[in-house]
Amino acid sequence: MTDTTPTEPDGGQTRDLSAARDMIVCENVSKWYGDFQALEQVSATIKEQEVVVVLGPSGSGKSTWIRCINHLEVHQEGRIIVDDVELTNDLRNIEQVRSEVGMVFQQFNLFPHLTVRDNVTLAPIWVRKKPRAEAEAEATALLERVGIPEQADKYPGQLSGGQQQRVAIARALAMEPKIMLFDEPTSALDPEMIKEVLDVMKTLALSGMTMMVVTHEMGFAKEVADRIIFMEGGQIVEQGTPQHFFENPTEDRTKLFLSQIL
Amino acid sequence: MSELSSAAAAANVSGAAPPEAPKLPPRQWAKENLFSSPFSSFLTIATSMVLLVISRALLGFIFNPIRQWNSTATNMQLFFTRAYPDEQYVRVWSSLAAIIILTSVSMAVWRAGSSIPLSRLGRKLLAGAVLLVLLALLAPFSASATIQWTLVAVCVAAIGEGIRRSAGKGEDERSVSSLTVLVVTLAGLVASLWVVPFGHHTYIPSRQPRVLAESGTVALTTKLPWTIMLLIAVAAYLVGRVIRERLPLNPTRVTLLVLWLLAPPVLIYLVLRDPSFDMGHVVSTDLPIFAAYAVGGSLLLSWLTRPSTGEAGRIVAVVILIAGFCTFLTPMRMVVRLDMLLLAVFALAAPTFAGGPRNRKRYVLGWLGVLGVMSWLITAINTPSTVSVPGGFFIGGFSITLMVAVLTLVLSFPLGIALALARTSTMPIFRLLATWFIEFVRGVPLITILIFFSIMVPLFLPRGMHLGEVAAVVIGYVLFSAAYLAENVRGGLQSVTRGQHEAAEAVGMTTAQKTLFIVLPQGLRVAIPPLVGHCIGVFKETSLLAIIGVFDVLYIGRIVIPGQTEFMGSTKENLLFVSVIYWVFAYQMSKASQRLEERTGLGER
Ligand SMILES: Nc1ncnc2c1ncn2[C@@H]1O[C@H](COP(=O)(O)OP(=O)(O)OP(=O)(O)O)[C@@H](O)[C@H]1O
Ligand SMILES: [Mg+2]
Repeated sequence: MTDTTPTEPDGGQTRDLSAARDMIVCENVSKWYGDFQALEQVSATIKEQEVVVVLGPSGSGKSTWIRCINHLEVHQEGRIIVDDVELTNDLRNIEQVRSEVGMVFQQFNLFPHLTVRDNVTLAPIWVRKKPRAEAEAEATALLERVGIPEQADKYPGQLSGGQQQRVAIARALAMEPKIMLFDEPTSALDPEMIKEVLDVMKTLALSGMTMMVVTHEMGFAKEVADRIIFMEGGQIVEQGTPQHFFENPTEDRTKLFLSQIL
Repeated sequence: MSELSSAAAAANVSGAAPPEAPKLPPRQWAKENLFSSPFSSFLTIATSMVLLVISRALLGFIFNPIRQWNSTATNMQLFFTRAYPDEQYVRVWSSLAAIIILTSVSMAVWRAGSSIPLSRLGRKLLAGAVLLVLLALLAPFSASATIQWTLVAVCVAAIGEGIRRSAGKGEDERSVSSLTVLVVTLAGLVASLWVVPFGHHTYIPSRQPRVLAESGTVALTTKLPWTIMLLIAVAAYLVGRVIRERLPLNPTRVTLLVLWLLAPPVLIYLVLRDPSFDMGHVVSTDLPIFAAYAVGGSLLLSWLTRPSTGEAGRIVAVVILIAGFCTFLTPMRMVVRLDMLLLAVFALAAPTFAGGPRNRKRYVLGWLGVLGVMSWLITAINTPSTVSVPGGFFIGGFSITLMVAVLTLVLSFPLGIALALARTSTMPIFRLLATWFIEFVRGVPLITILIFFSIMVPLFLPRGMHLGEVAAVVIGYVLFSAAYLAENVRGGLQSVTRGQHEAAEAVGMTTAQKTLFIVLPQGLRVAIPPLVGHCIGVFKETSLLAIIGVFDVLYIGRIVIPGQTEFMGSTKENLLFVSVIYWVFAYQMSKASQRLEERTGLGER
């Protein structure tokens, strides 16, 4: 298991995760919105400590898939197993999965009526039942980790977009999740703030967090991802290491997509 | 440009204050705002003319010598408490004192009040003096009265100018706390009771002649209590300051909020109404029921709040809820049913508060407290008042208006919020029940509901149970108010975005936690303006009490006083007075809502 220890950023492509445990298993997951099929037989396995970047054109079902994994959307066919717990309609399983999976949204979705500190401590105190003092000490440490320890007493509305997104990451991390899901975390940010958020995500990846990231930041994908999954029309079209994906993709649709964005 | 620097100093913000828009001299201000174009000049002049005509008519009405203002002054006691017996009057004063103490302590603890620059205060007094002069000129006064009013105006202007001069300029501009201004004003008013010959008026139906009107200052039974009230207010404020310095802030605030919530029922049932408890019944029935629920409920809740209980707890909670509804199908005591429903609510919320032994103990104590208050309220409602007042209602006039309004609001808020949550919930049964209830109540005129509750419900009540006089009416008001409140709250709840719901769910919160910590705080904040509008509405709708035979303030002003042989036909005067009372309170509520919006909006933006 020595291979799974964090290595240099560009070494991400070389690390061998085949021996690691399965964290997320999707088997033939399908989902419909009314008559429209948003996911079609999606199957994938994500290993512990693996960083997967999901790419694809708009409307290809990336958000739908990632949101199925913590049951914000409900899939209709197939199986999703997160850390050995299968997602069914059983409330207890859903709550267990959700408390182990952290999610970061495009629009931050911080709680505007609570201070930054309360945003971070609310779930640990009420869901994890931690004593307040302990939760607050951890919140301070987390805010330090994402680089904004001095903003703890402000309200989200008083922060910049980049700072808000970092608070959102800290809020998700406060639950000590085993998996982090990111749905276009930098798409709502001004260019100069994107880097500060990506840096936080990079350190998180290096610390060994299992991550699934939907993003349009190709630099991040090349540098940090262990694997890239390309989706279109609700299906997984192609997947592989960044090297494989960017340098010699096999599918025509992948080539077309890459030619449009690069 | 000294105005500019003083304005900046007034802003009193830490660090560098942002530059404020420069203040214009009056003439230029008028030119820019009132006479900027021919059309706006025309509007300004036309509006001023209309205002002038209206105020002249109003003043002409008020100061017309044929007005019987005597009738209002003589019947002050009737207006506010109706025939509450004189020998029991100390109860009225002591409940007022309790409210004043709570208010003052809260003002100190929450640091109410702001600092007003002396120059602004001076300018306000000068403006007041101008108004007084206008009044003296417009009103149909005799020459000597005009001179008197003008003299008063000159005095006010002199004081205002003096304050303005002494204000200082620039950096060392002096200011004064708004609370000091308030206390000085109140002290002035109270002092005037001792000095100014307002006259001593009383109306006593049982003696001949019925009207007692002596010149001199007001009766000792008026000026002495008010003086004591002012002293109590100041003393309580000082005590509150000590509390703020010495005691931990958050527990103090929570305690005060709980006291505010408890104040209306305690004051009404213990101080003003003084129920005569039938101790035999209390011991044989009420206490055993309370004890059973206290013990059983505590055991159940301490099991439900164990983190390991899990899914079984939810099933038990739902079973209790259904059992609670089923109790309405068979004859039994209302207390049993209500306690059962209350227990169901606590059981449903239990997983939210699950945790270590300390959490669980606190939750059980919360249950005991709420259960205790509810049991006592029900027992108190079911017992007659020992204060015997002609007509059956234990108090009347403006007191009953306030009482019904406050009780209605305090009780209908939780009910309305619960209805709104039920109507937006994912459970079809709750949604259906709430929708039916709301639509039914909104489709029926309030007056019908009131008549139903005052006349019909006592007929349907099971043997051995009877509702106290006002209680039946209040229940009608509460149901009506809750239905409307629910719709206002629902509007607020729907303004909470989907992203907020998802964020709460994504960190693993249960539906109850999400509702309590995320959805309700944000939804209620959005709903503040319509909710305050609703509060003002409820306050004014209490005037419908007159129709079912309660002597509320409007009824007294419209029917009772004009019916007194001495004051035949004094309806107009008394109606004007009543509307002023209503307006003062409604306006204060509106101001409070603006302050609340400012305060709670702080974090957002
Ligand atoms: N709530 C919904 N109801 C109906 N259709 C939906 C809903 N949400 C998504 N869809 C549809 O499902 C498809 C996949 O949507 P999804 O949001 O997953 O795309 P995406 O890959 O995340 O796109 P983007 O890059 O624009 O975020 C789209 O065609 C979209 O129109
Ligand atoms: Mg998307």
